[in-house]
Amino acid sequence: MRYHPLPITAVPIVAMATMVVVVWIGWGSWRHPAALWAPGDLSRYHADIAPCTQCHEAFRGPSQARCIVCHSNRYFERRSPAASAALHRDMMAQRTACSACHTEHRGALAQITNQARVNPHGEFVFLATGARSCSACHEFGARVADRPRLKDDPLVTLLRKAGGTAHQPGKMAECLKCHGTGQNEE
Amino acid sequence: MSGVWRRIIALAAVIGVSVAAAWVFEAVLSVGAASPFGHTRYGRAVGWLGLAVILLVFVYPYKKRHAAERHWPRGWFRVHMVAGIIGPFLIFLHSGAHYHALVPILAMAAMVIVTLSGIAGQAIHAYVLRTLHDERRKLQQSGLCELDIETRLHGMASQEETFRLWQPVHAPMTLAFLVLTALHVAGALFFGGL
Repeated sequence: MRYHPLPITAVPIVAMATMVVVVWIGWGSWRHPAALWAPGDLSRYHADIAPCTQCHEAFRGPSQARCIVCHSNRYFERRSPAASAALHRDMMAQRTACSACHTEHRGALAQITNQARVNPHGEFVFLATGARSCSACHEFGARVADRPRLKDDPLVTLLRKAGGTAHQPGKMAECLKCHGTGQNEE
Repeated sequence: MSGVWRRIIALAAVIGVSVAAAWVFEAVLSVGAASPFGHTRYGRAVGWLGLAVILLVFVYPYKKRHAAERHWPRGWFRVHMVAGIIGPFLIFLHSGAHYHALVPILAMAAMVIVTLSGIAGQAIHAYVLRTLHDERRKLQQSGLCELDIETRLHGMASQEETFRLWQPVHAPMTLAFLVLTALHVAGALFFGGL
C-alpha cells in the first residue's frame, strides 16, 4: 500500500498556493526588501540607506569595502576627533571588519557601537554647564574601554570653582539634586 | 472537566512553558551582547541543529511511503514525533522573541501550524484507538461473537476519518514550511555571509 498524505487532487492546489507565496516574496523583495528580510530597523544614522546591497555583499555579509565608500579616511578626518580618526585609519589598514565594533538593525534609537559610551550625567548636564559636547570637558582615548580624562581648561576650572566640592569627578551625575527645580540656579 | 480537556490543557501548558523557556533562555544569552543570540555563531549553530533535527521527521513519511509493503516503521514514527518537538524548540531558542522580517516570521508560523496539527493528529489518533479498545472490551464482556464485534468496531473506526481534518493542514503546511525555511536560510546566507 502506498501512502499519500494528501488526496492527489489537492497536490496542484498546494503547489499553486506555494508558488503564489514564493512569487509574492519575490515581488516584496523587490519593492520592500527590508520588510521581508531585515532582522530589525536600521539606526537613525543609516535609516536612509537603500538598497540592502549598499552595505551587504552577496554571500559575504556587511563588508568593510562597502562601509568605507561612505566612511572613508577623509570622512573621519573631517568629522571625528583625531584619536578616533587615527583608530579608524589603523582599522582600515588592518582590514578589520567594521562589524567587529559596530552593529546594525537594532532599531532607530539603538547605539551602533558595541559597548558605546553612554552619558553618565544625563543630557541635562549640557544645559547646566553650557558645554556643547562631551569633549568640552573630557579627553577620550582611542578605545571605548579607555576611561575619559578631565581636561584642564577654562570651563572645567570654572565649574570646579563655582560648585566647590559638588563639581568634582563622580559628583556630576547628581547635578539634578541642586539644578533640577531651578531654585538654586541663580 | 473531562479527562480529554485536562490533557489538552496540560499539553497547552507544556507547550507554552517550553516556548517561554526557550525565549527566556535566548534573552539571557542576548543580554549585554552586541547582537541577538540568533545572529551569533552559536545562535546560527543552534538554528542549523534545529533544522537538522526537523529534517529527521521526513524519514518517517519516506519510509511509510516506500517501505510500507514490509511493515509500519514504528521506530521512525517515534523519531518523527520526538524530532517534531525538539526541532521546533531549538528553532524557538535560535529565534528568541525577535520577529521583524516577514520571511522568517512566515516560516515560523508554518512550523508552528505543522507542529500543532501533528500534535492534534497524534492526540486524536491515540484517543480513537483507546476508545476502540474500550469498546472492544465492553462488547466482549457483553457476550457478542467476534464477527459482530468486528462489524461494530469497523463502523466506529471509519468515523475516525471525520477527525482527519488535521491531515490536510499538516501536509500542505509542511511544504510551505520547507519552502519558507529554504528562503530564510538563503536570505540569511546572502545578507549575512556564508
